[in-house]
Amino acid sequence: MADHTEADWNWAFYKELVEDVDENRNIIQCISCGKCVGDCPAAKVSTFNSRKIIQKVLRGDKCVLKDSDIWHCYLCERCKRVCPKENINIPLLIINLRNESFKRGYGPRYTDLRKYVEMSERFLTKGTVLEEPLGENLPQERIDELNIICDFARIKYVFKASKEKQKLKRKKSEGK
Amino acid sequence: MDFNNLALDLREIEKENPENPLDYFKEKKLCLFNACLEKYFPGVRWGFQDLLEELQLESSTCVNQSCCSGTFFQRNLITRAQFSAINERNLSEMNQQADIAFFSCNGCYNSLLRGRDFLKNPEVRGKTQDILNSISKEVEGERYPGIYNILENPKLKLVHDLDFLYLIRNDVLNTLKFDLRNLKVAVHYGCHYLNQSRDKKTLDSYLGSKNKLEGLIELFGGIPVDYQERESCCGWGASQLLINPREALKVTYNKLKSAENVGADFLLMPCPTCLYTLSKPEYRNNIEKWFGEKLEIPTIHLNELISILRGCEEERCISLTQKTPRLEEIFEIITQQ
Repeated sequence: MADHTEADWNWAFYKELVEDVDENRNIIQCISCGKCVGDCPAAKVSTFNSRKIIQKVLRGDKCVLKDSDIWHCYLCERCKRVCPKENINIPLLIINLRNESFKRGYGPRYTDLRKYVEMSERFLTKGTVLEEPLGENLPQERIDELNIICDFARIKYVFKASKEKQKLKRKKSEGK
Repeated sequence: MDFNNLALDLREIEKENPENPLDYFKEKKLCLFNACLEKYFPGVRWGFQDLLEELQLESSTCVNQSCCSGTFFQRNLITRAQFSAINERNLSEMNQQADIAFFSCNGCYNSLLRGRDFLKNPEVRGKTQDILNSISKEVEGERYPGIYNILENPKLKLVHDLDFLYLIRNDVLNTLKFDLRNLKVAVHYGCHYLNQSRDKKTLDSYLGSKNKLEGLIELFGGIPVDYQERESCCGWGASQLLINPREALKVTYNKLKSAENVGADFLLMPCPTCLYTLSKPEYRNNIEKWFGEKLEIPTIHLNELISILRGCEEERCISLTQKTPRLEEIFEIITQQ
């Protein structure tokens, strides 16, 4: 059976999508005015449409997690600024939808995340996203702390694909 | 616990020091937050440091401060609690050595404020503290947990360079050797400056037009020019430029084209991430390849511009590793007075 038909109103799935994050429950107040789309940078250059995404979430439409649209958001927070409702935080909703999408294995293609391999490596080995920081390097003790903070995070899995990590792995297995 | 009190209250400073707001900063310990992108534009930090020195304000950087991790949070590579923990760790370190932290990057500034904002949620706060508790410290062979805590009332206040420079604009003006010679300047504020939740205190400050850059341009002898894409994104879009480069560069193209079209001599901004996006030669080349137009409008960070106007040496205060298009031309125009 298809995940979604226009007739679906899946309250349970809607709850599942919004219950993790307090603020996301506020989207039930959305009046669908479309202000968020009107000045959205992503909407100007792609099919990204926050109003439609919110409608899908409110309907409990499972397609929302499979659609590539959620990955086109610029997270610029302009929608949050122009929304006439006070407590609707669309960028946070998008981040949460992306999380749910990741969890169900619909996330971005590997090639998209590959761009993050080097940045993740630098962050977890130097504490910066660029080659070397301007000025002094972060002390090793502080880098260790960052690694503890990031335990079990996706950044660690992305880091595993890095050359540095592969080198360490090879060294370890050669030593055995 | 107050999670809203991190941003330095500029109105209060103006009220208390109407004659010279700079006085407020004297005797205060100042710290410059290291933004990763300053690596490409060292003048953004050095120029600012140099200005503080001339104003007889002592500043330092925090060797224990890491990247703000905004880029990883925005790509779902770390959780909200991990993001908040990284920022709380940075806050704790800076709080030990300074009273005020300055930010040259919209992204870093937004990360610190946003990380703090997330702590309003009790669940995130609990998880963040648990993560911080897991960081242990070794003393004489023994490990002790919990060297970082969520700060209840940090003495540290955060301020964006643009807000500070505008606040003390008359003192900045006094340090200038050159003026803008009626150059036409288009401004780009950047999304994370324009759409700051920090400004939500009043409807006017949140929704109202931001115009500090224009104020500074006029003060420095330039002419601010309006253009259609003034408020639009630079195109970086939380790494959209890496993931969907063609779409994202269309946003960049629109911005540059619109500013070039009104005859702006250069585009001025307060953020090195926006500067990177709007100036990188590879991106300009792709714009030409994909949209058939070579756009050459120069781009400058506010800190760099002030350095040029102060007559600082080009090598120290203007982008070294990533020369933005035609920047030298602007440098020549200003400094040949």
